[in-house]
Parts: sequence; C-alpha cells; structure tokens
Amino acid sequence: MIQAASHDAPSSHDHAPPPATFTVRVLRQDAPDQPSYWEKHTIVRENDMNVISVLQRMAAQAETADGNPVTPVAWDCNCLEEVCGACTMLINGRTRQACSALVDKLLVDNPEGIELRPMSKFPVLRDLMVSRARLFRALQKAKAWIPVDGYYDLGSGPKQSPADQEVAYPLSECMSCGCCLEACPQYTKIELTKRDGETDAEFKARETSAYDGAFIGAHAISQVMLFNTHPTGKMNAGERLDALTAEGGIQVCGNAQNCVAVCPKHIPLTTSIARAGRATTLHSLKKFFDL
Amino acid sequence: MEAQSGSFFARNEFLIRRLHSLTGLVPVGAFMCVHLITNSSTLGGAEMFQKNVDLIHSLGPALPAVEWAFIFLPLIFHAVVGVWIIRSGESNYFTYNYVSNFRWWMQRVTAWIALFFILYHVFHMHGWFHTEWWLKNVANENTGGHLFKPEHATSSAAIALASPFKKLLYVVGVTACVFHLANGLWTLGITWGIWTSPAAQRRANYLCAAFGVGLLAVGLGSIVGVSKTNVAEAEAFENAQLETKAAAAKRAAELLKKESAKAVTPTATATKK
Repeated sequence: MIQAASHDAPSSHDHAPPPATFTVRVLRQDAPDQPSYWEKHTIVRENDMNVISVLQRMAAQAETADGNPVTPVAWDCNCLEEVCGACTMLINGRTRQACSALVDKLLVDNPEGIELRPMSKFPVLRDLMVSRARLFRALQKAKAWIPVDGYYDLGSGPKQSPADQEVAYPLSECMSCGCCLEACPQYTKIELTKRDGETDAEFKARETSAYDGAFIGAHAISQVMLFNTHPTGKMNAGERLDALTAEGGIQVCGNAQNCVAVCPKHIPLTTSIARAGRATTLHSLKKFFDL
Repeated sequence: MEAQSGSFFARNEFLIRRLHSLTGLVPVGAFMCVHLITNSSTLGGAEMFQKNVDLIHSLGPALPAVEWAFIFLPLIFHAVVGVWIIRSGESNYFTYNYVSNFRWWMQRVTAWIALFFILYHVFHMHGWFHTEWWLKNVANENTGGHLFKPEHATSSAAIALASPFKKLLYVVGVTACVFHLANGLWTLGITWGIWTSPAAQRRANYLCAAFGVGLLAVGLGSIVGVSKTNVAEAEAFENAQLETKAAAAKRAAELLKKESAKAVTPTATATKK
C-alpha cells in the first residue's frame, strides 16, 4: 500500500506523498431526538477514493480507530455522479456531495484527515442522513411545475426561443441538493418534534406551516424563474410570483450570495434572485394598481 | 394560496421588507447625503456653515414636522424592521469566507453601530425632543445633550466635538453609516431587480463603491471642518450676525411705529368730515 502510494503520488504537488492511512472524524447521531457524538475512524488510503468509498470502508471495518465495534455510519447516496444531490453533507465543514469529494484532494488541503458532518440546516434522521422535506415543500409552495394535465389534448404549446433556452437550461440543472440553503445565512434550521397526542397528519400540517413561514430558499426562487421563462409555464407565472411574495418569500434574501458560490451545478442563482426581485416588483405593482 | 394566517408582520412581510429597502434610500439615505454635504460646509468657515443652517431653520415652525415626517419616523421604521431582519439571520462567514458574505455580515455590524451612533448623535446635538420639560430635565449641558445651537451653528458644533474621544466616535459612526448606505444601495438594486446579471452587479458595485468613497470623504470632511474651527472667531461672527439681526428687528419696529403714526392722521381727518 505504501509502495502504491509513493508510485501514484500526484505529480502536480510533489512536496509530500499522500499518507498511507488517514483519520476520518464523523459526527454521528442515532436518531432524531438523540444527542450527536464524534467518532474517529482510521482508513487505509487507496487510489481514486471518494468520500462514498471511505464510508463504505468504514462500514466494512465496523470499528472505530480505538478498535471499538460500531454500526455502519448511515448516509444517503444514489447516482454517484453528482446529479442527484442525495449524498450532500458537510465535508471539512463545507457543504458538497460526498461522491465528487475526492480523498487525495481533501488530504492535500487538510493532511490531518477528513471531517464529516450532516448538513446543519435540516433535521438529522440518522448520522449523515437528513430530512430535506422543507426543500421539497418549497418547490410545492412555489408550484415549480407546469400544469398540463387535463381531459382533452391541449395540442402543442408555444415554441421556446433559443435565447430563452439558453437562460432556462442552466436553471434546469438543479438537483435539489440543498447546498445553496446550507450556505445561506438567512436560511435557518427548523426542527419540530411531535407533541404528545398529536396525530401524524396534525404534525405534518404544523411542520408544513412552519416551513411555509420561513425562507423559501434560492433553489425554489430559481425554479420559479425557470418555469416562468417557459412559454407554457408563463401562463401560471402570477401564481408562482404570489408564492415568492408570501411570508418567507424572496424578501427574506439578504444578498450574501453564498448560494451561487457553493452551487455544485454552477446555476446562476443570484441572477435568478435578482430577476425574481424585478418580477415580484412589477407583479406587486400590477396587483396593487390593478393594471 | 392557503388561508391568510399569522401576524400582521407575517402577512405583510414582502411589503414591509420592500418599504424597509426603500426608506433606506429615500428619505433616510438621501437625508444623510444632504446632512453630510451641509456639514462639510464647515470647511468653508463659520459664515458659510451658518448660512446653510439658517436656510434649513428658515422652515421655522414647520421644521419639527419635517424632521419627524421625513427623518425620524422613516429612520425609526428602518431601524425597527432592521433589527428584526438582523435577528432572522445567522452569519457563517468563518465557514464560507466570500467577499459578498463578508459584506452581508458587515451590513449588519454597521447597522448596529449606526443605530447606537445615531441614537447618541441625535441626543448629543439635537436632544431628541424640544419640549421645555425635556430640555430642562433630560437633554441639557449636564447630560451632554442638545448641544447644537442653530444660531451659533459652527461654534456650538465645535464645542460639542471638542474631545478627541467624541471625534473618534463620530469618525467610526460616520464610516459605518456611509458603508451601510453604499452597500445597501448595491443590495437595493438586486432586491428591486435593477441590476440582475453578475456583470451588471459588478458594474453597479463599482458605482456604489465610488459613491461610498465620495460620501465618506464628505463625511470625514465635516468632522475635519468642525475640528479646524476657531471657536472664538466663529462665536464673534455669529454674535455679530445676531446683533445685525437684532438691530434690523429694532429698526423694523421703529419703522412700523412711524408708519402706523402716519396712518392714524388721515383717518382721523376723514372721520371729522
């Protein structure tokens, strides 16, 4: 292993060969209402490792750096090619996908090891798994779809100009990973717990209303601009702008512009926010003066 | 949409936040520009500054109404909503150390500095309220309030800012206010959708920065102007001007007396006929 490491040492930075082993610190939590705790694991370095393969090694070892037997760390993943957003977590403190976080690069930046934490703006389900229900609720609130279902064939819709396609395509790349929300100083965590005697439906309703009262987030604002750019989607533009001017809407944005800086898909989120700012300005004036 | 629920604030959040943004520009920001430009005329000497102050105070009895409607009330609204906004967010600059994130944080830091500075500054110079009881018991020489005297504009300002500690406080306060306005102008353009693309935002950023640097020069110039004031000279000029005014008033009264004495005679003869 040491031989392999020295052989495959990245040529671009030849000051230090990658270490044979490295430490992974994971912030674990057994269940939503349980306290979190740190756990240390020692991993033998292999070529081309990403954080997903690190988590797989940890599950296979099933013991901490001190040799204590432990259950595998729970995490979400799906596509393994940075298009689904499921494996988003805090790697060395910053929000990103585990699948595209390469170990050798992480060790160059931070030779001591790797630190893994669940996203801090969403309720933890277990270990590195979080509930991103609020993210999806925001898309529902903003009506981030185009309603075309009906009882008869509506025929073909209007054509989209190539210029509008150029604007829309980058926005359509959003994978709902939640990085923009994690890095946003105006997006603060909401975690409710079920009250005694509360039914699931009652709890869900209380949670939805709490989510709707808080910031909708850059992802949803950008999706509104995507569907309001679409020739058919435009027909319902007003409803989506109503959602953006409701409580927790675009007005909560504080222009820190972290969203666009951390977006793994490089979506022009702040451009969407400014365009939505203009659209909601005009929409409100139109509504107020009945234009 | 679901049935309208929640507090008045929650239901009107969009409108309130947009009004907060607007009041930052007009009248609060616009007033600050006028205020700093007026005060920088202290660089031109006691006569020039006194002339500008007299112009503002020529509003006479309307001045308090103008002050409250166009300065104090919008400022209080901007501050109250602003404190609520600050409490709604949490800085994460140490994790995501981007320039715009730093500015987000600084906008809030300068907001707190500006809030306490303006509360103090208005008490220090203006006194907050001008009722007899208040000026006698709260804002007076002993408490260090209501020190600006419009008819002794330059000398009273110079005396109020005599201590180096006060000058430093004003430098910090003015700098915070100017940053808050210049940076706020940039975010206002995004909020209302004036500059949308990154290139447009970058160009707007240069303009806002230039505006901020210019206004800071004017603001600090005011403090320099007040500091350079020769109090005895300024007082002498102000007293001379007051004497001229008093003499003019006296002469006017005399003339009026003469006029009315003249006017009595023809009427008296007319009634005799």
